[in-house]
Amino acid sequence: MNIALFVAVPLGLAFVSILHKKLAPILLVVASLFILVALSFTEYGITIIGGFDAPYGIVLLLDPYRLLGLYIVNILFFIVIMLNLKTYQKMSTILLVSLAGLNGLLMTGDLFNLFVFLEISGISAYLITSTNKNPLASFQYLVAGTLGSSLYLFGLILLYAMFGTLNIGDLATQIGVLDNKSVVLLPFLLMFLGFGVEVKLLPLNSWVKGILSSANTLSGPMIASVYAAAMSLVFGRILNDLFVFEGRFQLIVSFILLLSILAGEAMAYQSTKIKEILLYSSVAQAGLVILLFVSGLASWSLFMVMANAISKMILFMVIAEAAKDGKDDLSSLKGLFVKNKTIGLSFTFASLSVIGLPLFMGFVVKMNALEFLFAEQLYLAITAILLASVVEGIYFIRMLLELWSSSEHSFTFPAKMQYILIVLALVLVFFGLTIEPIEALKDGIESTLHGGALWLV
Amino acid sequence: MLQIAGILLMMLGLYGILTNRNIIKIILALNILEIGLNIFIISIGFVRGGEAPLFSSEVSSNALVFVDPLPQALVLTAIVIGVGTTALGLAFAKQIYAKYQTFELDEMGEE
Repeated sequence: MNIALFVAVPLGLAFVSILHKKLAPILLVVASLFILVALSFTEYGITIIGGFDAPYGIVLLLDPYRLLGLYIVNILFFIVIMLNLKTYQKMSTILLVSLAGLNGLLMTGDLFNLFVFLEISGISAYLITSTNKNPLASFQYLVAGTLGSSLYLFGLILLYAMFGTLNIGDLATQIGVLDNKSVVLLPFLLMFLGFGVEVKLLPLNSWVKGILSSANTLSGPMIASVYAAAMSLVFGRILNDLFVFEGRFQLIVSFILLLSILAGEAMAYQSTKIKEILLYSSVAQAGLVILLFVSGLASWSLFMVMANAISKMILFMVIAEAAKDGKDDLSSLKGLFVKNKTIGLSFTFASLSVIGLPLFMGFVVKMNALEFLFAEQLYLAITAILLASVVEGIYFIRMLLELWSSSEHSFTFPAKMQYILIVLALVLVFFGLTIEPIEALKDGIESTLHGGALWLV
Repeated sequence: MLQIAGILLMMLGLYGILTNRNIIKIILALNILEIGLNIFIISIGFVRGGEAPLFSSEVSSNALVFVDPLPQALVLTAIVIGVGTTALGLAFAKQIYAKYQTFELDEMGEE
């Protein structure tokens, strides 16, 4: 199976869906299902686009890291569209484009191609957020996103001017043999800032509040879970393969990320609106994931992205559904889970996994990450994880107590959502109880993470 | 010189985005930033005295110095994306005007 189809099929069907508007939702489901099925028939390797060998032409790559990324993004994407298909039929074409963009982002091996996919998925994200009926927030997101991708483009063109190539593997090899690595600091900084906007790092995340505090069941899970996972994975991969973090530079970046994490957790702690708590918590989580990538811990960061994506999907879906009327104060949703025990259980499992309590996937990931960080003596990252977990523990438990408290709340969730979310929550428990599948995946991922061997033909 | 002009335009655009409180002006500033960036990208491929690298059965060149055609291709893509983003930004501006009856951020009563 040619992996270019993961981009071509949704993009092609997006054009068809413009001509046959009534078929659009069906085409969306077909494209999403096709990719899910086709993923199990793909083989690792390089696909050359346009007949020019790497590093001259554009290549798409598939290795264990990217395949797992594709599985996470596509499964979660499928769940979001299945739960929203009836309500947001008009968004089908845009969702098809975003699916093409996200898959392309994860697979591409070319920096400029990555910029194009970044913009394709970005533009569809702005349009997805327009369902929030808050055009000002969408506009701010658009300005921030465009600024971010312009900075990224500026960085990549500086790299091209220096090394004459856009192929990530080729660049990594050339940068690897440089004597004076400080010449690549400026392009790295620009690209870091550019991606920082997309993955919600402080201080580039002013758009997040407007978007996620008015999020609905489509835009909330899509931006906080699917997009966040895809962007973190791509950014992490670039950090791992291309960027050189050494000495003082690593310290400065880690310190900024630590500030991002602590500020996120502090704002979540003092907030009383559930959506705000969740959005600030995801700002902190994004910082944590990138900090792990910067510390050279790509495989466990990938699992943390996976755990976070599943948890955020459940948390945002539940709150967006319950707060449809716009009231998401802790007090107005008091006792929400008394009548909705299944949903309550899923929500609780997801929160406990984010905190990192035993029995859940979050614990396995944080524990192993800490073990590695202690061995490498990276105390800044260790402080970040431990402090974040403590603060998360406090505000999540406080929130859960309110939502489970005995006062009655009349809201009931649709049955379909209950079943899907409890299955997702059980996935978190499954990976929390059995370490073997994660270990097996980790070995496969680490064997292709270091060295640019797979990048070049 | 061309590179300095590009960077100056980018800085001007960035300044505009950060200081303007009017939706349309912000979109304009964003475009100025993109134009600056595009000029900068083009300047990367520029070679003084270089010729266009065209080869076909009718056109052949014996020149020894060619300009780099890749940045031009990149700019073409970047321009198209820029136009798309601007159009979307203007569509949001229209929605914002319909909701608040103003383009001024300060007069909307919310952030």
